[in-house]
Amino acid sequence: MLPKCPIVPRANGYPIVPGACGFPSPMASDSVSPSSSSDSAYDSAAYQNPNPNPNPSDKPINAIDGQLMSSLVLADSTDSVNHEEGPPSSVNEGDIVDANVLASEESDRTVMVEVDVREEEEEEVQRSEAVVVEERETGGGGGEGEVWRVNSELEVDAPDSPNSSGYAGERGTSSASSACGTGEDDICQVRDGDFVNGVVESQAVWIPGKRHVDEDDASMSWRQRKKHFFILSHSGKPIYSRHGDEHKLAGFSATLQAIISFVENGYADEANNGDRVKLVRAGKHQVVFLVKGPIYLVCISCTEEPFESLRGQLELLYGQMILILTKSVNRCFEKNPKFDMTPLLGGTDVVFSSLIHSFNWNPATFLHAYTCLPLAYPTRQAAGAILQDVADSGVLFAILMCKHKVVSLVGAQKASLHPDDMLLLSNFVMTSESFSPICLPRYNPMAFLYAYVHYLDANTYLMLLTTSSDAFYHLKECRLHIEAVLLKSNVLSEVQRSMLDGGMHVEDVPVDPSPRSGSASPHLGQHSPERVREAYTGTGGPCGLWHFMYRSIYLDQYVSSEFSSPIGTPKQQKRLHRAYQKIYASMHDKGFGPHRTQFRRDENYVLLCWVTQDFELYAAFDPLADKALAIRTCNRVCQWVKDVENEIFLLGASPFSWWGKRIEKCFAEWPVGGLIAGHLRL
Amino acid sequence: MATIGHNNLNAKLVLLGDMGAGKSSLVLRFVKGQFLEFQESTIGAAFFSQTLAVNDATVKFEIWDTAGQERYHSLAPMYYRGAAAAIIVYDITSAESFARAKKWVQELQKQGNPNMVMALAGNKADLEERRCVPAEDARAYAEENGLFFVETSAKTAQNVNEIFYEIAKKLPRAQPPQNPAGMVLVDRQTDGSRASTCCS
Repeated sequence: MLPKCPIVPRANGYPIVPGACGFPSPMASDSVSPSSSSDSAYDSAAYQNPNPNPNPSDKPINAIDGQLMSSLVLADSTDSVNHEEGPPSSVNEGDIVDANVLASEESDRTVMVEVDVREEEEEEVQRSEAVVVEERETGGGGGEGEVWRVNSELEVDAPDSPNSSGYAGERGTSSASSACGTGEDDICQVRDGDFVNGVVESQAVWIPGKRHVDEDDASMSWRQRKKHFFILSHSGKPIYSRHGDEHKLAGFSATLQAIISFVENGYADEANNGDRVKLVRAGKHQVVFLVKGPIYLVCISCTEEPFESLRGQLELLYGQMILILTKSVNRCFEKNPKFDMTPLLGGTDVVFSSLIHSFNWNPATFLHAYTCLPLAYPTRQAAGAILQDVADSGVLFAILMCKHKVVSLVGAQKASLHPDDMLLLSNFVMTSESFSPICLPRYNPMAFLYAYVHYLDANTYLMLLTTSSDAFYHLKECRLHIEAVLLKSNVLSEVQRSMLDGGMHVEDVPVDPSPRSGSASPHLGQHSPERVREAYTGTGGPCGLWHFMYRSIYLDQYVSSEFSSPIGTPKQQKRLHRAYQKIYASMHDKGFGPHRTQFRRDENYVLLCWVTQDFELYAAFDPLADKALAIRTCNRVCQWVKDVENEIFLLGASPFSWWGKRIEKCFAEWPVGGLIAGHLRL
Repeated sequence: MATIGHNNLNAKLVLLGDMGAGKSSLVLRFVKGQFLEFQESTIGAAFFSQTLAVNDATVKFEIWDTAGQERYHSLAPMYYRGAAAAIIVYDITSAESFARAKKWVQELQKQGNPNMVMALAGNKADLEERRCVPAEDARAYAEENGLFFVETSAKTAQNVNEIFYEIAKKLPRAQPPQNPAGMVLVDRQTDGSRASTCCS
């Protein structure tokens, strides 16, 4: 086992997903200089293979898998011919680091498959590629692995689209992709009409549900999709595909299954069971694999998101499936390995597609924290009190939410709710009043709970979770009681007001304590309408601050500022989301970190990150922002967050049972404690 | 369960049937007068209530719109247990959904409340040109099994209110007043007491 890949046990004994937090980020390693400022662009050396032989790639997905298969088979059958001792010339340092760090935490040995395909935009038809199958002892960490290198020449039918790539998305919009639908990853439609008041939630323009059902792996449009997600069974039967009809993708699924099983038990010698393929890289495409017992999950993406992020997304996708079916679905595969799972998931396309959409906008998907609707402290207390009453009457969890934001939540004694479970639960769309079996994968992946959901208004809903399948009428009464109290105490109207006002606006970051008349720590929503905002119109907050995100480590909560004009459109918001996701992964790179601070400038932003024992701050500035001023502004943001923490966070009633332990641990290791353990210094 | 008091009847009604047969659409048409061309799949079970005036009494339906997916099949008893009425819905353009409806009828006959009012609804009657299930077949089957049968269309609202109204009219007769409360609850209490005497 690699010490670099810890499985941190949570209170319920269910390990943390080795997702974004605490998972090594080898790819970013080259580009990130620890604890220092770097103005480097994102595209690091690790993303591009310095192989001197250009291997023009840019090929459709089926070509990739076709090549992969032929190459892998070649590797198998021509073992003696192509076998080389030591890493071949095409493997660079970064790749070797990959293979080491990406070692599967659940297997003793790991295989790293690298398909290195050199980008070459000018060349079109002839393609050759190097396939490197690397195998090494995970425990040893030494470099003595057997390495194959296979070169195979492949004729790839050149797509009819005007560019060379099957994936038009690689080069942004192309006429081919714009002709073939409205996949959110393919074409980012920037419609000025959507831009209202400078604040547009990117999810607002998204329409749920599965699209492109008529596509399959033979369709050009399907191959051009930038991001695919597949769930399949260990016998290769398709379970879910983000794009296209699962049943038509049976052949493609079988190919993915073959890759996984080939690595698992196909080649080489005696006791290499447990080898896992984790990542295949082909040019700008990453193929990320996640094996969960009899369920295989695969993501094929050219979005340049870090491996850890994509893997975290697969974990969430798996969690969503468990939420619908529980892990006991594995038993069906024990009885019949060829079991067809698609009927069991009938009608849930919308749940998966909305989760995948949330990977584009919801920071909770990589921060593993939830966010609260900003509310006055007494208002939230009032909501919490009434939920607590109900929790004492046999309700396991009572959660009041508004869209994806928590108003209040209460758990029965000793019951803990993981932020990821909350994300998956709130994504599990239920309208009107309903009572459905659901499973919380981090709470108990084997058992169903019953969720009573009732919408109090268009956005605000109450979820009451219980273990009893007969509890509907009881929960309905609880809800009537709660609803009455919430109405009487004006909580619901406050919730609606907060939805309209939004939370923290970068324009409101206190510029300097002294010149601001009145209180130095303004309450949210108490600013006068003619506040200083006009002074910054079009330029965000002070010193070019465009946006920030603050995650409280103890609370498992985060707060992010409202989007303002420099990042007003969904497209800009998605780009910032991806940038945060990437920098989050690099900050949590266990191999070279975790970093404490990072200052990064590229053509889009200045990103400043600051991670302490207590919090993580991610801030985006104007690309021309001054570094010293940016740092000073971050200090102000932290102070501001601290000043209004009882309005933006749910305090006190932490639903997480490991909370206390964590605090003890953190204080033991870090005696300074406190919310702000010393300001970031110049 | 159906409860009678002061000429008011509360009746639990459950809709069962294959996925995509139009259960949710029927309910939405009945409760809200709406129709959505692309109704999302129901997940779990949605709850609605609607009150009807029948003669000089009112019937308040507590409607369980269940998900048609296979994964919820084993959970269906949770929803039809104690129901005073059930509407088994199939899609007239799908023979498969009719076969599935027959299975639901069998299951209810075996497991359900013996006094349950059962209705068979052949939905999507507006899609006459794509019909796969002849109305006569369904009617014959319904008569054999003592079901009330009607073809409906949630889209055009054809027979939607009628089917609920017809059920409401049949309810008081099916549910003798001397046994008003939920049958199953009563049974279970007796079971429980029996069990405890056994043990003690």
